Amino acid sequence: MSMILEIKDLSKYFIAENEKLLVLDNINMTVNKGEILCILGPSGCGKSTLLNQIAGFDKPDIGYIKLNKTIISKPELNRIMVFQDLNQLFPWKNVLHNVVFPLKANKIGNSKLERLKKAEKYLSMVKLEDFHNYYPHQLSGGMKQRAAIARALAINPEILLMDEPFGSLDIQIRTSLQKMVIDIWQKTNITVIFVTHDIQEAITLSHRIVVMDKNPGRIKNIINNTLPRPRNSIDSVFSEMYKKVYNLLEE
Amino acid sequence: MKNNLLGKRYLVRIFWILILGIIWESIALSGRFSPLIFPSVQNVIESLFKSIISGEIIGETLYSLNLICKSLFIGIIIAMVLSILSVRSKVFEGLVETLIAIAHPLPGIALLPLIILWLGTGSSAIVFIIVHSVVWPMVLNLSTGFKSIPNIYKQLGDNYELGLFEIIRHILIPASFPYFLAGVKIGWARAWRALISAEMVFGAAGGIGGLGWFIFKKRVFMDTAGIYSGLIVIVLIGILVEDMLFNKLEKATVKKWGMSI
Repeated sequence: MSMILEIKDLSKYFIAENEKLLVLDNINMTVNKGEILCILGPSGCGKSTLLNQIAGFDKPDIGYIKLNKTIISKPELNRIMVFQDLNQLFPWKNVLHNVVFPLKANKIGNSKLERLKKAEKYLSMVKLEDFHNYYPHQLSGGMKQRAAIARALAINPEILLMDEPFGSLDIQIRTSLQKMVIDIWQKTNITVIFVTHDIQEAITLSHRIVVMDKNPGRIKNIINNTLPRPRNSIDSVFSEMYKKVYNLLEE
Repeated sequence: MKNNLLGKRYLVRIFWILILGIIWESIALSGRFSPLIFPSVQNVIESLFKSIISGEIIGETLYSLNLICKSLFIGIIIAMVLSILSVRSKVFEGLVETLIAIAHPLPGIALLPLIILWLGTGSSAIVFIIVHSVVWPMVLNLSTGFKSIPNIYKQLGDNYELGLFEIIRHILIPASFPYFLAGVKIGWARAWRALISAEMVFGAAGGIGGLGWFIFKKRVFMDTAGIYSGLIVIVLIGILVEDMLFNKLEKATVKKWGMSI
């Protein structure tokens, strides 16, 4: 496996009430091409902040992040973020045009037809083929997140960044969307960095889990997750892994 | 189903208008009041038709509508410039807020003597009054609209590498559209009131006036039925704009998008 992303000696401060608060303390890690990497940690551990640095929404105070040996300085199409916010679709565009719009704006695809085909392909991948003409407010939370994933995938980014995208959905929907992410990964072999605070989600999805600590946010350990797929949370190997990760988090 | 409901609403309206008309007519026919104060429905309608056929009321309605469209257009442009400036710069924000605090509570009519001194009594004075009554509430609405645009759209714009044109055309304008529309609705209502009052005071500029002038003329000639016919036209235009224009526009945009404020 080849390395696609490298985070080197990264630290980040927030200024709050004239006090310098260390949120990320000396983060070092790499991401391999084609893997699903989960960043797991309690709220306030800076995992979303870290993802924002990778996306380029925010810059590290110390250290750097390199994508394919180039330092990241701003958001770009090669890293697309899917947010937790259920309102990340544009309400004034229907599902199809939410996906087509960024393609059109970046002149991806040679013709209108080609862009529509592309959008349709990814909407089918997230099983929204029957909802092209729906407006976001007519969709359920899970469908909105699926549309947002299709929009991100259509751009064909090198890395898909996911910031607790299923955090505000109920457990059944979350489980089915996790299956969908694995399904998409098997079809596209895309690199995914997935931030979550849910141990089960991290174990279900990941090849590796970066376990983080809070105050300040730092990496506790990086766990290789080689459980055979499909993974089922009632398997004994799954619960062993769960215990291992849980104990690490609690330490 | 929806059409049925809408149709039903109109039926209910027409029903009550008929009832009120009948009550009106019976009071008029009872002869308790002089027809100079209380003309019969028949007289009012006759008078309305006469002024339509002679073209008098049509010309004056068009004159009023022309003035109001012009002024609304100018008002919207000024409001947009002011609200964009106030959203983009802290210095302008303070200035615009101060201007609103001073100008918003001032009824346009109160400015009349000043405006006559500045601009005379021509149509530009009327335009000025309308623009004044439209701009301030619109600036309030538009800047609230711009400020309420969620930060996530900015992040999406950055992430998907959208250009300035795409951001303005496809994000800023539609995202603030519900506020824009609300502003235009308030603007229209205020403009319409300001226009009629200003026209009554100024009368005709250069031999031609608007609906306010029409009503004023009718009062001078003690043509009470004529006054009512002017009022009917004002009400009808108000209903038409509200039901046809604004409701249709809302259905095609903010309601369709689920973005009502």
